[in-house]
Amino acid sequence: MRTRTTWTPWLYLAPALVVLGGLLVYPIYQLGLISFFQYTQAQVSGGEPTTFKGFGNYAELFSDSQFWQVLLSTALFAGACVVSTLAVGCALAVLLTRVRALPRLVLMLAALGAWATPAVTGSTVWLLLFDPDFGPVNRILGLGDHSWTYGRLSAFFLVLLEVVWCSFPFVMVTVYAGIRAVPSEVLEAAALDGASQWRIWRSILTPMLRPILTVVTIQSVIWDFKVFTQIYVMTNGGGIAGQNLVLNVYAYQQAFASSKYSLGSAIGVVMLLMLLAVTLVYLRLLRRQGEEL
Amino acid sequence: MKLAPRFALLLATAAVVAGCAPQTSDNSSSDKDDQSGTLRVWLFQEVGNDPKAKVVDSVVTAFEKAHKGTKVDVEYIPIDTRAQRVKAAFNDPKSAPDVMEYGNTDTAGYVKDGGLLDVTKEFGAWSEAKDTDPTAKKSVTVDGKQYGSPFYVGVRALYYRTDVFKDLGLQPPKTMAELASTARKIHKAKSDLYGLVVGGAYTYGAMPFVWANGGELATAQGGSYTSGIDSAAAQKGIKAYTSLFTSDNCPAAKCAVMGGNDTITAFAAGKAGMAIGGDFSHSAVEAGKVKGKYAVVPLPGVASGSVAPAFAGGNNIGVLKSTSHRTLAVDLMEQLTSKATQASMFDAMGFLPTFTDVRDAAAAKVPFEKPFVETLAAGTKFVPASPGWSEIDSSLVLPTMLQEVISGKKSVAAASGDAAKKMNSAFSSAG
Amino acid sequence: MSTLRGFVRRPWRLAAEASALLIAVVVAFPLYWMVLSAFKPAGEIESSEPRPWTLEPSLDSFRRVFGQQEFGRYFVNSLAVAGTVVIVSALIAFLAATAVTRFRFRFRTTLLIMFLVAQMVPVEALTIPLFFTMRGLGLLNTLGSLILPQIAFSLPFAIWMLRGFVKAVPDALEEAAYIDGASRTRFLWQILFPLVFPGLVATSVFSFISAWNDFLFAKSFIISDTSQSTLPMALLVFYKPDDPDWGGVMAASTVMTIPVLVFFVLVQRRLVSGLGGAVKD
Repeated sequence: MRTRTTWTPWLYLAPALVVLGGLLVYPIYQLGLISFFQYTQAQVSGGEPTTFKGFGNYAELFSDSQFWQVLLSTALFAGACVVSTLAVGCALAVLLTRVRALPRLVLMLAALGAWATPAVTGSTVWLLLFDPDFGPVNRILGLGDHSWTYGRLSAFFLVLLEVVWCSFPFVMVTVYAGIRAVPSEVLEAAALDGASQWRIWRSILTPMLRPILTVVTIQSVIWDFKVFTQIYVMTNGGGIAGQNLVLNVYAYQQAFASSKYSLGSAIGVVMLLMLLAVTLVYLRLLRRQGEEL
Repeated sequence: MKLAPRFALLLATAAVVAGCAPQTSDNSSSDKDDQSGTLRVWLFQEVGNDPKAKVVDSVVTAFEKAHKGTKVDVEYIPIDTRAQRVKAAFNDPKSAPDVMEYGNTDTAGYVKDGGLLDVTKEFGAWSEAKDTDPTAKKSVTVDGKQYGSPFYVGVRALYYRTDVFKDLGLQPPKTMAELASTARKIHKAKSDLYGLVVGGAYTYGAMPFVWANGGELATAQGGSYTSGIDSAAAQKGIKAYTSLFTSDNCPAAKCAVMGGNDTITAFAAGKAGMAIGGDFSHSAVEAGKVKGKYAVVPLPGVASGSVAPAFAGGNNIGVLKSTSHRTLAVDLMEQLTSKATQASMFDAMGFLPTFTDVRDAAAAKVPFEKPFVETLAAGTKFVPASPGWSEIDSSLVLPTMLQEVISGKKSVAAASGDAAKKMNSAFSSAG
Repeated sequence: MSTLRGFVRRPWRLAAEASALLIAVVVAFPLYWMVLSAFKPAGEIESSEPRPWTLEPSLDSFRRVFGQQEFGRYFVNSLAVAGTVVIVSALIAFLAATAVTRFRFRFRTTLLIMFLVAQMVPVEALTIPLFFTMRGLGLLNTLGSLILPQIAFSLPFAIWMLRGFVKAVPDALEEAAYIDGASRTRFLWQILFPLVFPGLVATSVFSFISAWNDFLFAKSFIISDTSQSTLPMALLVFYKPDDPDWGGVMAASTVMTIPVLVFFVLVQRRLVSGLGGAVKD
């Protein structure tokens, strides 16, 4: 590492800082700003002047029971997605290590296919699979014309399936790469000692893979908390009477459907702060592991 | 940092924050009034849009001929995304059209948003304007000023399958109660048909039930409105409508998400015994499987022989404030809503004209229109003429209320109470 | 290479391989169904007895999709946006990652944390402020309004992922290059860049997917000039919530998924090693 004080790093950083400054930092600043004003369609198109509202929008938000419902739904839904994705991904990663090249390749390719599928496309395909009239799932399970998108829990369940389907490959591939990096002597010794597969995973692999598992968990939490497209497409914008709303879709509906841009921005700020808290946890973990940033 | 500089920094930050308001777009009337160039027009895309397009094309051709050097560019927009596109147009005058079609429930909201041009002068000077139906004229008026020209009015009535009724020996229902029982009889006898196809998101199909029972959406008080959707009478109507969403008529799982267009599509495809449709749905139903096998009667009210008050829907055509071709745009607006055009639109799409003389002539020509004209005559209702209505409409207050009751999430009292709260907050914040 | 298999008893391994294959089938099934439905004639899709095969494959759905106004144009637009985003963000991220990993300077850690925090932003919430920014830059209704935000949103993740790769290049190599008289720029592009390339490929996959999938920005920024719109919008034309043209939706989905699949297959090996390298830290 070069320790001479030069302006070279800043030169290299310049393009990134310009792009991020103008297209990320400035809009975030604007987002916060808007959340403190009365900013609806009338203001935006110049029909009325903007007025400073202080924390008024936040007060309105926190006193709305729907906000808390949506927050709870988001937390539970994201939690369920993360747990399922990690479980499936790790289990399959271990599975990949137990098989020969050909089955491994087949499973990898299938997983990559799932991963590559765009969110919009995946959403419509899963909707077709579970379609009450034309979908194979209802046919195979003999469920007649049961609608999966009508009930609140079953709609969330359907979206969860799609999210896990397209997210587990990331976990699987990353954890698999991590396992491959574990020295074989360690695993040899454990197997010779007669340890079961589960024991090996819990007592040996998990501690050694901690950095990887941390990354993968935090990334999953962040992505699943921000889910938008799948919910929007599969529950038609949030479900009947908004029963399947998650925070990101809720913010969008407030801003664009109801034209309450300031309220939508306030929700955006709340989301941002919550995810910031998650990040701080991650940083603490990194620091504790002795990771050199 | 020492206290004083820290305090100064805080003060400076507060000043900056209070001083910079978020950007707004400047929608003030542009002073430009080009006499040539390209005019952009946004019209709604109807189910079965081709006949409409043909009429519009002929108006456009005549207009371009009359104004050398002008081109007219027409775009058809899907109705369900119109709200967002219009907002985007108000936000960015550069991508906005010059002339656009809009629903008459949006007039007050759009005027408040500052997007529509005041055309009182031109409208008053227009020779044909004097024959405009007073209700239609009201729908383009806000605070005594006109912001567009009426394009067509539309009311809804009861479509029913003549073949099914003949088969089962049924008569068109004369009361709301009969309507419900007829629907159930149809579904019982023919389980693959909905009795009366209803939609949980079909506000204007549900409102007649509320109005027929004496309920009101809102009442004007002082300068503002108060919601009446939670009154006992309104609740009775809501109950009557939502009780149609059962497995013996139109199962909730299928029907709760349907909007107006979806119910018409179902009827046209032969999946329902009855449907609540508009005169503007005529061509869509004609193009469907049920051609020649249906008839229309006014939607019955509570008392025998009465007509349930229908919603006086309709579309208007207005000019956007941001236009840079003011004179041309207003002229085009008048051409698109002229008596001649409206007569052609009636022939093509069944849109009821907004000029009383043209409408009467049309109704006499086409017996199909009789039940709709009857419905119009029996008395129609409108949405509260408050700028807050746009918000109520776009945040789906009424469909949410209906769906909450249909899915069993809330009782009628609770759902209507919540809806009333939301409506009142929208009315009061709009002023 | 870890050789667990030496210790796995035969029948267990066979069971494992059978499960792997079975799971692969389940995972691939939705994609198979998508392509199958795209080729089914209309009657077969909308039937209450869906079959996992079709004896009369037809190109009808594809014809409808491509007959749809300007579908080809949307495809090209998506490709242009995604391609530009991938290349530009790879270059910018490479430079930035090099700066933060191979140099020591004040604010270095702060910047790193900022880049991490930037990944948390729920980008959909930024649509309104970005709308005004794009309007100010005169980029509304152009592909530029889609490209710029996507570059910005893919940078933080790319920079973080590239850290590992950039760090892995030994200092000794760099010293040796300078001793040999290479300028800093030469080292950067002719030595460092090729070595970090696998990592760039891995991160470019994410940028590509993110840009390819976006539909919110296309919906919000492309208003009056629909010839500049992108594929996800085209797909939603066929998908009406209660009476979707399933054949058209599946055909459009297939067309939309193929480039991504191709991209993935091409970079598959690099991707695995890339991800392993990125988290090895």
